[in-house]
Amino acid sequence: MNAPFRVIGKSFPRLDARGKVSGKAVYGTDFSMQGMLHGKLVTSPIASGAIVSIDVERAMAMPGVYAVVTAKDIPAKRYGSFVKDMEVFASSRVNFVGQPVAAVVARTAEEAEYAAKAVDIQYKEDAAVFTTEEAAQADAPLVHPEWETYKAVPTVKRRGNVTNEARLVLGDVEKAFKESYRVFTHRFATNVVHPGYTEPRAAIAHWEDGDQLCVWSNTQLPFEAQATLAEIFKLTPSQVRVNVTTIGGGFGGKLRLGVEHYAAAAALKAGRAVKFVSSCEEEMTSALPRQPLVIELTTGVTKDGKILAKAASILVDTGATSGSGVGVASSVMLMLAGPYKIPNLRLESRSVYTNKTPTGSFRAPAGPQGNFAVESQMDIIADALGIDPLEFRLRNIVEEGDLAPNGQKLESVSLKECLLKAADAIGWNERRPAPGRGKGIACSWWTTTSGSSGVYVKVGPDGQVFLNTGCAEIGTAALTGAAQVLAEALGVELSSIQIVSGDTASTPFDFGAQGSRTAFAVGNACLDAVGKLHQRVKEIAAKQFSVKPEEVTIEIGVAKCGDKVLTLKEVAAVAQASQGGLIAHGTFIAPPTLHDKERTENMVITAINSPSFHAHAVDLSVDDETGEVRIHDYVVAQDVGRAINPTYIEGQIEGGVVQGIGQALSEEIVYEKGVVRNPGLTDYKMPTAMDAPNIRSIIIESPSKVGPYGAKGVGEPPVITPPAAIANAIAAAVSARVQTLPITAEKIVKTLSESGLAEK
Amino acid sequence: MTEVPLDLNVNGRRYRLSVPAHATLLDVLRDELEQTGTKTNCLEAECGVCTVVLDGKSVASCTVLAAQCNGRSVTTIEGLAEGQNLHPLQEAFVEMGAVQCGYCIPGMIMTAKAFLDENPRPTRDAVREAIAGTLCRCTGYSKIVDAIMVASQRLSQQGERP
Repeated sequence: MNAPFRVIGKSFPRLDARGKVSGKAVYGTDFSMQGMLHGKLVTSPIASGAIVSIDVERAMAMPGVYAVVTAKDIPAKRYGSFVKDMEVFASSRVNFVGQPVAAVVARTAEEAEYAAKAVDIQYKEDAAVFTTEEAAQADAPLVHPEWETYKAVPTVKRRGNVTNEARLVLGDVEKAFKESYRVFTHRFATNVVHPGYTEPRAAIAHWEDGDQLCVWSNTQLPFEAQATLAEIFKLTPSQVRVNVTTIGGGFGGKLRLGVEHYAAAAALKAGRAVKFVSSCEEEMTSALPRQPLVIELTTGVTKDGKILAKAASILVDTGATSGSGVGVASSVMLMLAGPYKIPNLRLESRSVYTNKTPTGSFRAPAGPQGNFAVESQMDIIADALGIDPLEFRLRNIVEEGDLAPNGQKLESVSLKECLLKAADAIGWNERRPAPGRGKGIACSWWTTTSGSSGVYVKVGPDGQVFLNTGCAEIGTAALTGAAQVLAEALGVELSSIQIVSGDTASTPFDFGAQGSRTAFAVGNACLDAVGKLHQRVKEIAAKQFSVKPEEVTIEIGVAKCGDKVLTLKEVAAVAQASQGGLIAHGTFIAPPTLHDKERTENMVITAINSPSFHAHAVDLSVDDETGEVRIHDYVVAQDVGRAINPTYIEGQIEGGVVQGIGQALSEEIVYEKGVVRNPGLTDYKMPTAMDAPNIRSIIIESPSKVGPYGAKGVGEPPVITPPAAIANAIAAAVSARVQTLPITAEKIVKTLSESGLAEK
Repeated sequence: MTEVPLDLNVNGRRYRLSVPAHATLLDVLRDELEQTGTKTNCLEAECGVCTVVLDGKSVASCTVLAAQCNGRSVTTIEGLAEGQNLHPLQEAFVEMGAVQCGYCIPGMIMTAKAFLDENPRPTRDAVREAIAGTLCRCTGYSKIVDAIMVASQRLSQQGERP
């Protein structure tokens, strides 16, 4: 396996770097069309109620206004991932503050914004519900009184505000708790955090020939945008063309429709191209932040620190629509069990509507929330048993061939190596090196999302290779990674490859830039294409050499038979002149991950595909008077299967950790009766360069059977573990165990004063 | 709408414009001059993606009134490269893997440009402080700091040449 690679494993600069550093790359916010108009949303000021009337007369008379669009202007249609509970514009009721009810289309963005304030909407306010604990009660006000009429996937079990009730059950938890030396129960709660991409969501829509919709946007998933827009506007997918611009960050926040549907509705009514860009306030009040979870976790252990059983009751707050929260409610159970060997499990989760911002799939959906609970509790238990937290983990982690909680057999398990290397690097032998200073460790596993990928690989007569993919580049450089896979296998230089991506009309289908799958899946589709190209190369060369194709061998960039040699470029020239060029359609779909369906009930996500393993260790100080946390050192040991481009893997790790530090310490969208109190970047605190520590990456390569050259998913995992690792280090430093995120300085001081330790 | 005259030098080219009195420098660059290398996001000087260099100082162009810029000179990301030759800062950002989505990068590079002009050989901590007004959500900042340090060395060496 350790063949010397030419391209794989080398830190080449990304292929789109020059355009990005020179200001020439065209992002969604930059894109414009001749004669386009601008749209602005009119949103609900109340959390729950009926729309009594919409008066657009005054707005229509404002300067520059072309149209005001409401639900009446488009087909009455609800859509959604698991439950079809979303509308483009609220038609009869609103269920969160910030919900779009209408949109104004005007000549300039400023005129649209001005006129939007003149749209007069009257509401009749109803009782609202803001916490999952309340919303899950049988007599709670219904966020969607008509929930029973909504279509949903058959797997989900719904009732009132509860959009799914799922379970993962193994063995006999009650019996195991009785046999346990000690049983621990703790409650953990996590925060609403925004993906924080620096480019707001932006789209331009234009209708050609009446029923052909053309959209340019910074979506992560052009094919899903195409399908959803077709569903909304009652078109076939082929009537919708989605082109992806350069994307200014996504992190899952641009998976679902952002503003494409508003632009499409507005363009339909105005008869002109219309551009929408989310304002910062709209981002903070009506984008798709991470679901906050409440997790009650009970764990039974033996005296020598073996976990016998875990039970959990989980509430996932999806906000006003279920979105991907139904998926989070399933995948969080895989996170809560693991990555440990536990013979008895009873995990129960519910996804629940509240009258707040609809949530979405922020990087590693369910990962940080579940991991914060499991890994915080691991340290609490270790301390209670008098066992070192690293040792306690090592006694319970999964190893090669073990079964995951869903019964799937685990392969290429590198968790022990991750933990030991992270612990060694942070200097674990000194867990409390000085007063107020402590070290924390935490570990996790994560899935590499499946889904199909197609690429066209075309070799030109000048030897240039086009990699044409339906997958968008969201910034991770994963498509440069896929191109490195292609260059390696095809026998060309990386600099020969040009990427064409993200146009639903001209690129083959791809499940898209999500779930840490881009380099993994697009890379594999490239390998398939190379196999097909090499076969064609052999056939073409054989004809030129007057031999049989099987007599031709392929070496790096050349076809050979005896002393006869043709370069790839020469073969491509022959192919272009005689048979329409040298091109192949490569495809990939990950094999299904086999698991025990008896263990899962109503789960919409049931497996951990090509799992990756990771451990984080942190060394920090806490000021016990101010609660300020200062991170001295942060180490990540992450198994990536095969490091295709080490620099950008480090980039994923460093960026993910800092994003995780934000969730751990400072970020939270704060609600008061459904109203966001901090709808701007002044009060929503993302880490700056002053807050981010230097991060040391230890890249571990334990190859997967499925990924290209053994690669596993890389992008999401780094954001999972920081909250738990940091919580554990804070507890080690000053004995303050904070069980809710974010762990603000205020909470640390409060916890210290409650425990009496800070009293003089 | 009240308009004001604006005589503005952008990347060495002089523009004589008439712009709305309330237009910001960012509005003028992106909407009037259609130069979108300077990015737009929060419009409250918190994220820094709109940073340009105004008479040698880095500013958040979203909160600078265009009318304040009358008779002044602005350098944007489009003005750094010389033809096909990237500026050493741009080169270093490419080489060091400091670019991911890239949306903050024009603002980062312009911040770094003004900073290095005044502080040719900074420490890493000083670089971190200098760029703290520009948010990057992708990189965790380390490779951006690396790139600025590398560029500072190269720029200083260039400056030392006879």
